[in-house]
Amino acid sequence: MATPHTDPAAWSTSRLLDRIPAYVRAFECYVPSRPDPVLMRQYGLSHLYRLNNNENALGPPPLAREALAALESGRTAQYPSGDSYNLRQALAARFGKSPEQFLVGNGSTEIIAAVIKSFCGPGDALVTADQTFAVYEWVGRFSGLETRLVPLRNHALDPGALLEAVNERTKIVFLCNPNNPTGSWWNRDTLEAFLESLPADVVVVLDEAYREFTEDSRFPDGMEVMERHPNVLVFRTFSKMYGLAGLRVGYLCGGQELVDVVRRCHIVYSVNVAGQMAAEAALADDAGHIAATRAMVAGARDFLRDAFDSLGLEHVGGIGNFIMVRTAIPDTLLYRQLMRQGVMVRTMTAFRFPNWIRISLAQDEAMEAFVRAFRAVLDQG
Amino acid sequence: MRVNAEQAVFLELPPEAAFLSLAVSAAETAGKAWDLGPGRTPRLVLAVEEFFEYLRGNIPPGDTLKLSLRRRGPALRAEFRFRARSLDLRALNFAAGVAPEDGREMGLLLAARFTDRCRLERPGGDSFVLSAEVDRDYPQAEPLTQHPRLQPPYAPLDQPSGDALRHAAMLAAGRYPARLCPHGFFEPGRLLDMVAAGLYEVLVLADKAGRPAGIMLWRSPAGSLSVFFSGPYVLDEARDPAIARALTEGFLARVARTPAICAVSERPTGDLPAEFFEPLGSVGCTQGGERVEQQAFYRSLREDEGASVWAHPDLEPFLRREYERLAFVREILPVEADGGQPHSLLATDLDLRRGMAVLRPLLDGRDLAANLARHVEALGREGAPDIFLHLDLGQAWQAAMSPALLAAGFTPRLLLPHGATSDMVVFEHGDAAH
Repeated sequence: MATPHTDPAAWSTSRLLDRIPAYVRAFECYVPSRPDPVLMRQYGLSHLYRLNNNENALGPPPLAREALAALESGRTAQYPSGDSYNLRQALAARFGKSPEQFLVGNGSTEIIAAVIKSFCGPGDALVTADQTFAVYEWVGRFSGLETRLVPLRNHALDPGALLEAVNERTKIVFLCNPNNPTGSWWNRDTLEAFLESLPADVVVVLDEAYREFTEDSRFPDGMEVMERHPNVLVFRTFSKMYGLAGLRVGYLCGGQELVDVVRRCHIVYSVNVAGQMAAEAALADDAGHIAATRAMVAGARDFLRDAFDSLGLEHVGGIGNFIMVRTAIPDTLLYRQLMRQGVMVRTMTAFRFPNWIRISLAQDEAMEAFVRAFRAVLDQG
Repeated sequence: MRVNAEQAVFLELPPEAAFLSLAVSAAETAGKAWDLGPGRTPRLVLAVEEFFEYLRGNIPPGDTLKLSLRRRGPALRAEFRFRARSLDLRALNFAAGVAPEDGREMGLLLAARFTDRCRLERPGGDSFVLSAEVDRDYPQAEPLTQHPRLQPPYAPLDQPSGDALRHAAMLAAGRYPARLCPHGFFEPGRLLDMVAAGLYEVLVLADKAGRPAGIMLWRSPAGSLSVFFSGPYVLDEARDPAIARALTEGFLARVARTPAICAVSERPTGDLPAEFFEPLGSVGCTQGGERVEQQAFYRSLREDEGASVWAHPDLEPFLRREYERLAFVREILPVEADGGQPHSLLATDLDLRRGMAVLRPLLDGRDLAANLARHVEALGREGAPDIFLHLDLGQAWQAAMSPALLAAGFTPRLLLPHGATSDMVVFEHGDAAH
């Protein structure tokens, strides 16, 4: 029989693709938004208000700015501290813990992956909400794990349903408190009752990315909770309140034995020099910055709530520098129409909130620009 | 010969007449082994026979024909993979060599007539795939026309049982016009097989008493960035809009984190909540000898990044109007008609059950206008009055075809964002399209 004519490269690629695990083949790549100059050129804009990523519009605290301004370019020729040594010292001093209880990553998302790799193997399962920060689900799925998604109740995590979803294969429960994108939150009693009811051999990731936005005394402090519940790992970030999203610095804190396990699967040297320096400086000088940010967010939230109420639109917001609103047109269409007017929001279809958008809370100018554009789009029908 | 666990058989055959009997025998055996039935198996066998006989004379010397026979839910699929050089390509047109005045017919059309679906695809380069599907027979179920008054709350069934699915399908068939119902609603066994094979995904809602309250289906064709949905089908006596809304939201939640980037209506019912979709326009369909306008609805599942498309000046006004209406940012890059090589090649998706054919350009050629005319004539004669052509605006050579399409009586009806490698224009043939 003659040898068939085939394209060797195509055949080889096809064989390679056949060997990829089905759970990777089925996974959707996340497509980040394009850089502002590209978007502005596409939409013919002279200005773009980016209100899609819950960034702090005030930027970082003053000392962090100074640290970044003072960074010598020659410093970049050297590797950073491989385990963010100084930053962990600063975190330990801030929270009254051992530096060994902290693990710093290139954003919290990197640490999410490290935690899952550390505790889960084939056949294991994760539990989280279906309408929450997407990265828990993504990493679980592309790691080949069963990811059990629990619906929210009244836009909040449902403790009873989350407990029901836990079984003998469940290794980790991810709780986003306050929840992104709804801003809803569990108080101390709810969290305590949940942790008491959960088997002690299930790891709980308590993601507190937005906790600095509240001063409500009923809000639980993960740093205190983890002392009573050794299965709790607390996640926090410098990307939101501290205005360092561009440098990607997040961290976890937990009991030393658990943290040591996660450290085995964590990539060292992943946090760069500038990120470590700025984060350390930010911690040293945050009181005024936090107060100013809270005031800005509160003012923006009131402004948008009033605007949505006047339009008769359902909205949801709580703790965090964001608010969601539901409209009578597809959120993905609304996104395109708002972009034409120089305002970028986050569509919520991928969060399983079709027809909702999420808006980052920022200064007056941006909020006013958003409301003008939003009203104009809705007026078009 | 190789058999794998997903119920498929693979053969690599020399293009020699002596191996025809092996191909035919494999088709017969597959039909018997996979319950295609004595009435339907000969149709698959005929397709394999015609394809083999036709292709063996049209592939390069030394090449082989790769035949796979595969069970796909309710259907058995015969698929030939082969290579063809440009000199041979003209003959792969479904309408090639058809000369009705002297009664001669080409094998591909003959095979198409006896199968349920035929398709020619070009995965790349000079590789081609010619396939035919024959469906099993299923018993018809009588549609249920009495719809009870249901009680909220309505909740999705995690994994609907076969009985629940069957019941919901029969209730939907009793309420909605046939053109809005998948064939499986009238033959629930077919629907169950399609769902089991992953050809359809389904969402069924039940009321407080566990009765089927609504159903919605969707499919994600391989290689497509779109999901195509049918429904929502509301089964409550009073057509509670909460059911349609819950079905739509449930559907969107299920596809939101999949590789699909948009959802497109295939059979949108009147219960579709308008606020979740963007109207694209409509195309004409023939139902019972009458033309009806089928509305099309679209929804992006992600934030659109913008894109570039190719367009001939003839098509540009249509595109600019639609992009403005739909608020899509697109850079329109101009192309001019070229024609290139002598012979064009069109892929044909022929579904005689629905009386519909979809053409897709595989190669441009100076004979395009005549080739289009031959296809329209041949497909109409075969019983496919509804002829569409899908033009990929991500391919400059396809975009350059629009003058020939317009001249051949095709009209642009729908702009489908991300419908192909970039956006796609659906052309419809015939006066009704104007």
